[in-house]
Amino acid sequence: MSQSGKSRPFSRREFLKFGAAAATAAGLGGAKAFVPKVYGRGRATQKVIVIGMDGLDHGLFGRWVESGTLPTFEKILRAGGDFRPLGTSIPPQSPVAWSNFITGTDPGGHGIYDFLTRDPKTYIPEFSATETDAARRTLRIGNTVLPLSGGRVRNLRGGRAFWQVLEDHDVPATVIRIPSNYPPVPTRQLTLSGMNTPDIKGSYGIFNYYTNEPRGLVEEAGGGGRVHEVYVIGNRVEGKLPGPNNSFRADGPEMEIDFKVFIDPVNPVAKVVIQGREFILKEKEWSGWQRVSFGLFPTQSVGGICLFYLKEVRPKFKLYVSPIHIDPGRPALPISTPDSYARELERRFGPFFTKGLPADTAALDNDVLDEEEFLRQDDLVLQESLELMDYELSRFDEGLLFYYFSSTDQRQHMFWRLIDPGHPAYDPELAARYGGVIKNVYVAMDRALDRVMKNVDKDTLLLVMSDHGFNPFRRGFNLNTWLMQSGYHRLARPWQQAESSFFDNTDWSKTRAYGVGLNGLYINERGREREGVVGPGAEKANLVREIAAKLEGVVDPVTGEHPVLHAYVAGDVYHGAYLDRAPDIVLGFNRGYRISWQSPLGGFPKEVLENNTRKWSGDHMGSPDVIPGVVLANRAIRSGAPALYDLTATVLDVFGINKSPDMIGTTIL
Amino acid sequence: MGSAKVKVDKGLYEKVKKYAGLAGYSSPAEFVAHCLEKEIATLEESDSEEEIKKKLKGLGYIS
Repeated sequence: MSQSGKSRPFSRREFLKFGAAAATAAGLGGAKAFVPKVYGRGRATQKVIVIGMDGLDHGLFGRWVESGTLPTFEKILRAGGDFRPLGTSIPPQSPVAWSNFITGTDPGGHGIYDFLTRDPKTYIPEFSATETDAARRTLRIGNTVLPLSGGRVRNLRGGRAFWQVLEDHDVPATVIRIPSNYPPVPTRQLTLSGMNTPDIKGSYGIFNYYTNEPRGLVEEAGGGGRVHEVYVIGNRVEGKLPGPNNSFRADGPEMEIDFKVFIDPVNPVAKVVIQGREFILKEKEWSGWQRVSFGLFPTQSVGGICLFYLKEVRPKFKLYVSPIHIDPGRPALPISTPDSYARELERRFGPFFTKGLPADTAALDNDVLDEEEFLRQDDLVLQESLELMDYELSRFDEGLLFYYFSSTDQRQHMFWRLIDPGHPAYDPELAARYGGVIKNVYVAMDRALDRVMKNVDKDTLLLVMSDHGFNPFRRGFNLNTWLMQSGYHRLARPWQQAESSFFDNTDWSKTRAYGVGLNGLYINERGREREGVVGPGAEKANLVREIAAKLEGVVDPVTGEHPVLHAYVAGDVYHGAYLDRAPDIVLGFNRGYRISWQSPLGGFPKEVLENNTRKWSGDHMGSPDVIPGVVLANRAIRSGAPALYDLTATVLDVFGINKSPDMIGTTIL
Repeated sequence: MGSAKVKVDKGLYEKVKKYAGLAGYSSPAEFVAHCLEKEIATLEESDSEEEIKKKLKGLGYIS
């Protein structure tokens, strides 16, 4: 439906009354309002700056430091600094690894074991980081459903965040975009959420692509996007921009905004008209952030921001629209503490990206954006990040500042194929043009660090850290197919194996194990799973050991290598209060391997092992010893083998704060 | 509990018989009933599952 744009902004509190219902809010929480406390921040004599560079790989970093490619890092090392490989989490997925750092524990202490978990009562995969409860009571009037009790979104990470501990001791902290902090945990510190923050539809990001190119006319672009067929009639194109579902309506229809594009009959230029505003784009031009507003109800609307990119005017029309981010100027969902912090930043900088991991890897992976276009978009992300960092550095004079960069991770995911001639997706022509992208993003981080160093004095501890390293993703391991072929998983209709997903073809009465997520394997345990068949205790323990041993024995017939380097048994490697959430086995892949594309959601492709031919070609699902991250300090590091949770202890130690009993790390200095 | 008969062509029935045995069902009828139950469950849940799938796919790690 078209929206007038006259509605008043929908407040977070009002919005959350709908809870998940507003599909926008799936996975969102925070009805529990932050409790504002008005008391002064303590004054700390020591200062700590932590710069998080997602996925900075120890091997590449060491090589480029040695070759003189990273002068700022080198300068810090020459001045008495130090760096080490940083032990990552099991498994080395970002939400898990950052949670280790946030809480100073391993997954047993915070409960995040994977991007995905599953509901044992339905076997359906679901997000592990957030949970949304729908409004419990509603009133239906005609086609309209009114909420009578509030829904809410919850951050499922357990343990206390280190900035909450600092707050207990009156040490001020500003924490920008640390992953695994959505919705942000209650605190009076300044925090802005990062990875896991959804787009306005409640997803991890769905782009829209409008074209009259026949080959692109599929409803789903293979994940992460939607392709819309449009017609150019008399130099005019009409499109609809999808928004969140409208929970005010009984059938929850997806809301839409109409827009029109007027193409210049001569020049490669077009005018976009949307909600009474218009802007002109040249071919290959990005629009900058555009505000859009979806009307839920005659007097209520939800605001978002998105980027338009005019990819081509002729001969084919191609218009890309980024996922719609939550508008930081009037956030309908909780993205900061205090609530006003996001608005304060927006007033200073204008709209800025709020969705976790804003670079659109799905658009590149599906050929909607090409390499150049993807990089241009991620350059915008990086530029915005640097400007915000400069601002926070300029007013940082006590306590702790944490700042996060995502571009290192995202570019390594998408461009590893072009530095690895052995990769199935290696393309020598593209490698000649883009083979330097990964090195260049390390150089960009070096320059960012140079900006940081201007604010580092003798009382400041500087830590640069990454959550994990990187390695090629050449071959995919179909865990569920392997389980089936090994007799641990039974399909009800074996002839429909390849079409199976979400375990819709599983005969649970004859299934003993299943794989969910990117590293997890679960036993179909009696009393835990809905149709569990394996008895708890010795029966399960024996089965776990048997499967783990067999997994480590798998050999790839093509390479002769073991795809699974370590099959970790949960009870052996985790500690803490959240062991009951753990998968029974966590796979640590060998270099070059990862879980396949389809296995994580309960798919069963024909082959156990397959080549990865996609642009998403670098990854980090390996055994932790294969892909350590990096920690660099402007002081000597005394620890020989530091791990993520040790950095938490280090930060607290600088401020003279004892770590809590559940924290397992020790200071590295 | 009552029961009803459904006609299927002979070729399909032969396949049902064959795969019912291979898959460990006690009879072709049990196999068919199980298949239909699963299929119906899939249809009933398809909307929400599709919704979940779309959201998960945005992760980038999954197809």
